[in-house]
Amino acid sequence: MSQEIKSKLGFPGQWQETTLRIPDDEPPPWDPSYKFQTVNKAVPRVDAFAKVTGRATYTTDIRKPGLLYGRLLVSSHPSATIKSIDVSKAKALTGVKAVIALPIKEVRFVGQEIAAVAATSSQIADDALRLIKVEYDPRPFVVDVETARKEGAPLVFPKRAAQAPEGKSANVTPQRITKRGDIEAGFKRAEHILEGQFRTQVQTHSCLEPHAFTAEWEGDQLTVWASTQSTFSVRDELAQVFEISPSKVRVFSEYMGGGFGSKFGARASGKLAAMLAKEAKAPVCLIPSRKEEHLTHGNRPNSVQHFKMGVRNDGTITAMQLTSYGTGGIAGGAAATRPMLGLYRCPNKLAIDEDVFTHAGPARAFRAPGHPQGAFSLEQMVDMCAEKIGMDPLQIRLQNDPHTVRRAQMELGAKRIGWDRRNKTPGTQKGPIMRGLGMASSLWYNTGSAGAEILVKIHKDGRVEAFSGGQDIGTGIRTLIAQVVAEELGIPLQLLHVHIGDTQHPYAPGSGGSKTTPCVTPAARKAAFLAKQKLFDLARTLLKLEPKTPMIAQQSRIFSKADPKMSVDWAQLTRYLPNGILSVQATRAHNYAAYNNIIAGVQFAEVEVDTQTGLIRVLKIVAVHDCGLVLNKLTARSQVNGGVIQGISYALFEDRILDPRTGQMVNPNFEHYKIAGSREIPEIDAVLFDVYAGSNNTHALGLGEPTTVPTAAAIANAVYNATGARLFELPMTPDRVLKALAQRRSPQK
Amino acid sequence: MAEIQFLLNDRLIKTSSQEGLVLLDFVREHQRLTGTKIGCREGDCGACSVLIGTLEGEGVKYLPVTSCLFPLGRVHGMHVVTVEGLSKETLTPVQRAMVEHSGTQCGFCTPGFVVSMTGFALESSSVYQDDPRDAISGNICRCTGYKSIERALSEVSEQLQQKPQGSEQMAWLIEKGFVPPYFAGIPARLRAIPARRPAELTSSTSAPTVLLGGGSDLNVQRPEAIRDADVAFAQDYASTAIEEQDGFVYIGGAATMEDLNRSPLIAQTLPSIRAWMRLVASTPIRTIASIAGNLVNASPIGDVTILMLALGAEIELSAQHAQRWLPLEELYLGYKTLSKQQGEILSRLRFPSTTPQSRVNFEKVSKRTFLDIASVNAAMRLEVQGDIIQKARLSAGGVAPIPKLLRETSRWLVGQPLTGETALEAAQRAQSEVQPISDIRGSADYKRLLLRQLVMAHFAEATAIPVVKEALL
Repeated sequence: MSQEIKSKLGFPGQWQETTLRIPDDEPPPWDPSYKFQTVNKAVPRVDAFAKVTGRATYTTDIRKPGLLYGRLLVSSHPSATIKSIDVSKAKALTGVKAVIALPIKEVRFVGQEIAAVAATSSQIADDALRLIKVEYDPRPFVVDVETARKEGAPLVFPKRAAQAPEGKSANVTPQRITKRGDIEAGFKRAEHILEGQFRTQVQTHSCLEPHAFTAEWEGDQLTVWASTQSTFSVRDELAQVFEISPSKVRVFSEYMGGGFGSKFGARASGKLAAMLAKEAKAPVCLIPSRKEEHLTHGNRPNSVQHFKMGVRNDGTITAMQLTSYGTGGIAGGAAATRPMLGLYRCPNKLAIDEDVFTHAGPARAFRAPGHPQGAFSLEQMVDMCAEKIGMDPLQIRLQNDPHTVRRAQMELGAKRIGWDRRNKTPGTQKGPIMRGLGMASSLWYNTGSAGAEILVKIHKDGRVEAFSGGQDIGTGIRTLIAQVVAEELGIPLQLLHVHIGDTQHPYAPGSGGSKTTPCVTPAARKAAFLAKQKLFDLARTLLKLEPKTPMIAQQSRIFSKADPKMSVDWAQLTRYLPNGILSVQATRAHNYAAYNNIIAGVQFAEVEVDTQTGLIRVLKIVAVHDCGLVLNKLTARSQVNGGVIQGISYALFEDRILDPRTGQMVNPNFEHYKIAGSREIPEIDAVLFDVYAGSNNTHALGLGEPTTVPTAAAIANAVYNATGARLFELPMTPDRVLKALAQRRSPQK
Repeated sequence: MAEIQFLLNDRLIKTSSQEGLVLLDFVREHQRLTGTKIGCREGDCGACSVLIGTLEGEGVKYLPVTSCLFPLGRVHGMHVVTVEGLSKETLTPVQRAMVEHSGTQCGFCTPGFVVSMTGFALESSSVYQDDPRDAISGNICRCTGYKSIERALSEVSEQLQQKPQGSEQMAWLIEKGFVPPYFAGIPARLRAIPARRPAELTSSTSAPTVLLGGGSDLNVQRPEAIRDADVAFAQDYASTAIEEQDGFVYIGGAATMEDLNRSPLIAQTLPSIRAWMRLVASTPIRTIASIAGNLVNASPIGDVTILMLALGAEIELSAQHAQRWLPLEELYLGYKTLSKQQGEILSRLRFPSTTPQSRVNFEKVSKRTFLDIASVNAAMRLEVQGDIIQKARLSAGGVAPIPKLLRETSRWLVGQPLTGETALEAAQRAQSEVQPISDIRGSADYKRLLLRQLVMAHFAEATAIPVVKEALL
């Protein structure tokens, strides 16, 4: 059933021979000596034509005959008991086709879904919303994390009252504690102990396309168009809600406008779209407004982190202790401890974290959950340690980081940014404009798993279709599937047509954890590989070669390895396909013993700080990242750029602000919730680091998430190097910079 | 009002839809052109960008606008171009560059970027010369592909080096495929659309006509009210001209921020205008927003208002049978309270022309440097003789309930020498004239600190005097 193969894994300078046990029908991972034709090149997206012409149809663009416009009524109170909901007037309005009131008794945040209407126009739907009478009994609420922690704070979940940790509010969850080694001994061994208190803000996903759904019923068959990062999770959730078989639910998501972790499942809006469509007996679209997106559709929790780190004069980090809490509104997920648990070989670690519930919209997974927060504190602490013992921040990292890939990335990145230009003594430039350099590291662990499937169909005209039920969140999986299949079959990309985003196609996982590429591309390669074996049989018959004669498929020809003249053209061969078609479906195998299953990454920042106004200008980011083998240099570079830019936006601009007196979000738009524009973005040197990782047949690992992890931390370290003032709070706004500068001048304040 | 007629891509549209409906909804819902996307409905993301073409001389001038804020009634006689109007089977050079440089990821923002970049290609003035990124400053990509998009933009920019000027421009753009051939016939088709007679402005009825300057703020604050109201457009009642007369610069009541940005007269009078306007708003918003609208909106933090206060602007208020001139600072009585009568419209404004003795500067600090609402903004105009200040006007926003002329400090400055000490003293005196409050754009203390820094910056920028050591933080 399985075979053992020897595989050369690693990267130049760090090759190692590894024995991999792989299933019999699997192609072995590509050897470093293999000359790629399509993979590992800079290949434009296969769907770019549709995107640049505006023809790509997103969920918000779906127009069905008789389509009704859905609208949500959301809570305007942060906390209230709903005494009654009267929808009769809304139902009676001409043009209203369905009204649904959710059976909820309590609302716990501004933006919580209460009811929905569907009408023949969006104006009528808006009018109908105003006719719904909700009688609220407002209750005390709390939206700020500090107040929510205190005993006696209004409770988000009153049923948890008995579970209050000693001296704290029941809004606080029990502490999660992770221990490594002996923390006390670690601090005893330290020659210096440094401490810092860090704060990070709430960031909203702000996907450009809202969380839109369009639903339509035909009998008991439900069809849904969803702006989702997991078509199958939408299908399964709706099947469960309506108590029908998943076979009766079909979900489409051919194009979707960004997710970043917030677009899993059907959730309330998906369910309501389907409920409205069922009641109205007509298709219904439900498209949240930008305000609802900010309030309801996900965020990255904030954090308050107390860090303590012990270091010896020789640079050895002996102990790390992080106590943190944060709020994801009515949801959890605020832990910021994973970077400190995963980075650096320090044997003694203690991580304590707790979630704090507040009357605010629920957090959802957001591009490397917990990591940018955790890196912000950890990587500044490492710099503080380095300064204390008079060591270069690069040197202390090289010394404490066991990851061979990241160490190589650090050396490379330091060269590219010109690390020796950094200020030896921070804050000593003349000003008023000061420049500095900083760096920070990232890690990520998701290397994909078994189960994804791809169907390949080869037609008699030589064209090839590949089918995956999964979606393209924007990273380019449609293009990668095409590349991998074309590579394996030895044909040009133009012959490929990839169909995605339809749950009637084979299974693919959700696009989360940076795992789409490592999950899906090995299935694509395997399906193409198995199809190729059948084509080889056909070619041998045509060429009258012995069975098992080794064959090669390359440059649209199939030929004998021993005698390349024994050859048949792709176009000629496919004409002989029995029944005119060859279909093969394959499943991605389990992970093999990889060279590395922790993804590295490091970024260097150069900044300019105007000490008159407090403005930080990022001048350059060098971002060195790895994702196993880079399958497409263009899409991979886009991932790195995107992660860095979201990181800059997080570091300097984005901040969800809730008014503690009203519980309302004061900036639920793009006018006051600022995200970076092209003018704020510096030169980005995206350096992609090929690693023959070997955990699957394409060597692919993930890339989307780690690229946004270290940016804010690297910028903060650069600001310190420029000014000698450390920023302990995100975002690093001009007022905080000025305050930090003032503090540096007169530390007694 | 009569039927609205305009060209949507290559089709003539005649519609009786509501004048106040935003163009975006007409394009997507009525015309089913879904390449134009909805991202925010407040002009901040640019996913709904379209080009509007207006007759100018023999040809048509194209400018980008966010269709979510542009009232349908205003497109009468215009050419509206959406992404669908740019190409059929072959890609334009803009689209090709976006494909080749991987300028598209999830793709949702892409049509907006393609439209903005096509506007860049159609631009005949030098407005984008300093920095081609001005052409895409109104577009947000969340994925985010700015660097790839900029590479695509650079390539397009290089190809456009060959573009001839003047009347041959359009033929060249068509030949190179930047726009389809039907663009050649647009001027004649636009000329064939009959002009409309604007409605009488009524003020006494229970539902008065809403006069829209640009609508860039009103359509964010209450789009539904605008949609359902009787609307009229300032362009029908006031001029857009910017001209010099008798020692004053006159600006028509319908002039937009982009008119200000592009005016050769203003470039002469205020050489830094483009750098300032870049901080104020993106190109599509500047194309929509009117200057008069910014003044009567009376936001305590209005950028152009603060600049005009320092310049010494006066406004002309016109009613049916009467006109009066009012110093701008006298328009503001209290928070959003104006000394303007119901029925009066701001028909013109003027400020004294600058001379070689003038020193003018505008400064603004916000969280995001570009296109954000300021925490504090400030402007200064000095007239100097030798090293002595003869006249002074200092204004600041975000530090009081109204856009504030700092009268006391301005008065004190007269007769003072141009020195760093004067700057420091002015910065300190300004503090006694302001009452900032703490809000999302900063604490009161922070705003006071910023005001101090900005006043110092004025002197450093506009008069090149050295900053005194005590001024440094």
